[in-house]
Amino acid sequence: MTTLLVVTFAVLAAYGVYIAALAARVAPGPAALVDGGADLPGWAAVFAAAGIAVAGPGLLAHLVLTARFGMSANHVAAGLVLAAITAVLLQKRLWLAARIAGLGSPGEALGRYYGSVTLRLVVLTVSALFALPFSATLLSQLGALIAEASADALPRAGVVWSVAFFLFLPAVIGGWRAIVLIVAAQSVLLAVLLVAGTGFSELALDGPGFLSAGIAVGEGLLGDGIPGVVQFSAGIGKDIAHGGIFTTVGIASTALSLVGIVLSPGFLYLAVTVRPGRSAGFAPVWLIAGLGAGILLFLTPFLAARMTEGIAPLIAVLSAVEPFAGLALVAALAIGLQVTALFFMTSGALLATREIVVPYVVPDLTPAGRRLAARIALAVTFALAAALATFAPVSSAVVASLALPMSVQLLPALLGLAFVRWISREAVLTGLIVGTLLVVFTEPFGLVLVEGLFGPLPWGRWPLTAHSAAWGLVFNAAAVLLVSIFTRQVRGRGQRDRLHDEFAARWKTDFGGPAARGAKWSLTLIWSFLALGPGAIVGNRFFSEPVFAGETAPIGLPSLWVWQLFFWLIGVALVWWIAYPSRLAVTSTAGLRTLAFDPDPVPPGRAGAPGWIAAGLARVTER
Amino acid sequence: MSADDARRDRFDRHALVTTVWLPAAFLAVLTMHHGYSGAGVWWVVAGFAALAGGFAAHIIVNAVLATGFTAREVALGLGCFLLGALGLMVAVLVVDGFAERYFLVTAAGLAGLAVIVVFYMVTRFGPRQAFQHFDVVRDNNPRRASRLAHRGGRR
Repeated sequence: MTTLLVVTFAVLAAYGVYIAALAARVAPGPAALVDGGADLPGWAAVFAAAGIAVAGPGLLAHLVLTARFGMSANHVAAGLVLAAITAVLLQKRLWLAARIAGLGSPGEALGRYYGSVTLRLVVLTVSALFALPFSATLLSQLGALIAEASADALPRAGVVWSVAFFLFLPAVIGGWRAIVLIVAAQSVLLAVLLVAGTGFSELALDGPGFLSAGIAVGEGLLGDGIPGVVQFSAGIGKDIAHGGIFTTVGIASTALSLVGIVLSPGFLYLAVTVRPGRSAGFAPVWLIAGLGAGILLFLTPFLAARMTEGIAPLIAVLSAVEPFAGLALVAALAIGLQVTALFFMTSGALLATREIVVPYVVPDLTPAGRRLAARIALAVTFALAAALATFAPVSSAVVASLALPMSVQLLPALLGLAFVRWISREAVLTGLIVGTLLVVFTEPFGLVLVEGLFGPLPWGRWPLTAHSAAWGLVFNAAAVLLVSIFTRQVRGRGQRDRLHDEFAARWKTDFGGPAARGAKWSLTLIWSFLALGPGAIVGNRFFSEPVFAGETAPIGLPSLWVWQLFFWLIGVALVWWIAYPSRLAVTSTAGLRTLAFDPDPVPPGRAGAPGWIAAGLARVTER
Repeated sequence: MSADDARRDRFDRHALVTTVWLPAAFLAVLTMHHGYSGAGVWWVVAGFAALAGGFAAHIIVNAVLATGFTAREVALGLGCFLLGALGLMVAVLVVDGFAERYFLVTAAGLAGLAVIVVFYMVTRFGPRQAFQHFDVVRDNNPRRASRLAHRGGRR
């Protein structure tokens, strides 16, 4: 297994360097390293987006949780449909805003639209969360997985640094374009390997599998159902939720956290830098909601049922039957981790270069100098992530838990940019502050900090089995609505109106007449209620003990699994209905007019910076 | 379209082609290894099916991007096919019991791949042009007059 693993990862590393070298040769100029010329091929964006959306929330973690909590944890994968709906709604409008106003990144788009430097910094902070602790946690998990699969023949720290180095090489050679192409290729490989590894384990392994024995969970946990609508638990770490943490509230709120992947700055940067075409609809509808959610919902129980003692014994058994099958499973999980880390580390470094280093720190750089700056940022990011993964994996995991829920807090700001012109800067910033506080104090980072400094808090992580993303977003949205009422006509409204007028004049979204519009949103709410919300509790027994029959009707499958697959199919149709007839699926530059936003509140250069900052920067950069 | 754009499009297509062949090749190796390790000939058949799937995906890429196989791709494909045939011959001569157990399925798999390629060429180019791709004897006259229609319109 060790030899096979080394050869496989050597082949993948060589492939990455090969693609990066070719990408560097066809790059139109030095600036293309940072944004791929804002002309990424649609197919690459489609596969890369799907791969990141599926692997980003944690493929390995999903398997482990399903093996531990049973079908209720598997239910969370249906949340990818929710992520797909969000991506459909936002991506085209963000792409248009970027092209209309000449904005090259999500931070710049939000910052200039709302006229707020703070918002730009918030986006950069979220980007840094994904690039450093989040990616470090993924690298750490990757190192542990490979060390376990190779029986410690490949040490964890060595794997972390080797992988980080061989991921860094294509990033520094080929830049954004190369990374998106590599992530796309490896995402396709990930999907095939996951299907092959699962299929092979079912065909070749003896012993009861999922269909005959179900998922064996621990005592006190409900393996084949959802343990209630909500449990009045103080949170993880304070008490134990009866039957498991994935109540319907837990499922819906964790599904909401999956939206954080498609709202992450790196993912939005991908959406902004793709060339016009059909990728804005194809990726969310067919690959994220369709293939991605389907693969997870359908295949995970089969693997989880054989993971009663963890992933390593399953890999060992599979390898004993066929080494390549064990390799397929390890490689699928490892590729999921490495593409996500590669994507977020690269996008984080490039966004930091683009939004901080080039405009403010060293503003007089030539294009070649900017490319060098981006390469230095990449080196620093990859080295820091590898160091965190090696020396501080627990601290990284604690901070990384903030990344997804913090990313979800950007939703009101992005909805404002895309559709809701009356959402003001003041409202967005207030909502972000409130949402961030809620997220921080319902995740280990805030809890550890406060309990370490002041003493125990009455709640733990995810009180009432609700994920921190939901806690934050509920209060964030409430604050946005409340503050917007009082700030609808404040300064900056004219600029927002200009963009939305342009949308309305040339890029109208057609949700249909009043009936179609009502049907679309009411069906989305009904679907959310039944697929992810409290209605999903009906799925526990709906197909095995139908209430209308008055007796049991054994179908040989967990009723909840059938419920999940049924609502997944309906969900795909729903995303399609929102995307295609509403003209949200296709982007085009035909008839695109440019629009000048108000000048940046802090113009590029150091003129607007406090004297001591300007002097400090000059001391470092002008020697 | 500028030369730079054309070069970039060729590169994007190349990346897409490698994207479809990467998983197909891995699947083929997985199933063939399992098959040749004694699990049964159907696993070997599955390996050839994975290669056929990769070829089908490559054709779809060509159709979507309105391109054809490049000379390098043809050369690589032919080289791999010949390597496979050579491997079959060596295995028959060197490996005990290979001929009895695996010759038929491997030879049938290689022949099947060849038939798929020929089928593709016939449906893509028509029988005459498909044959002309291999008709090197017809093209061996360097004189310009040999290209005249009344002399058969060679080339």
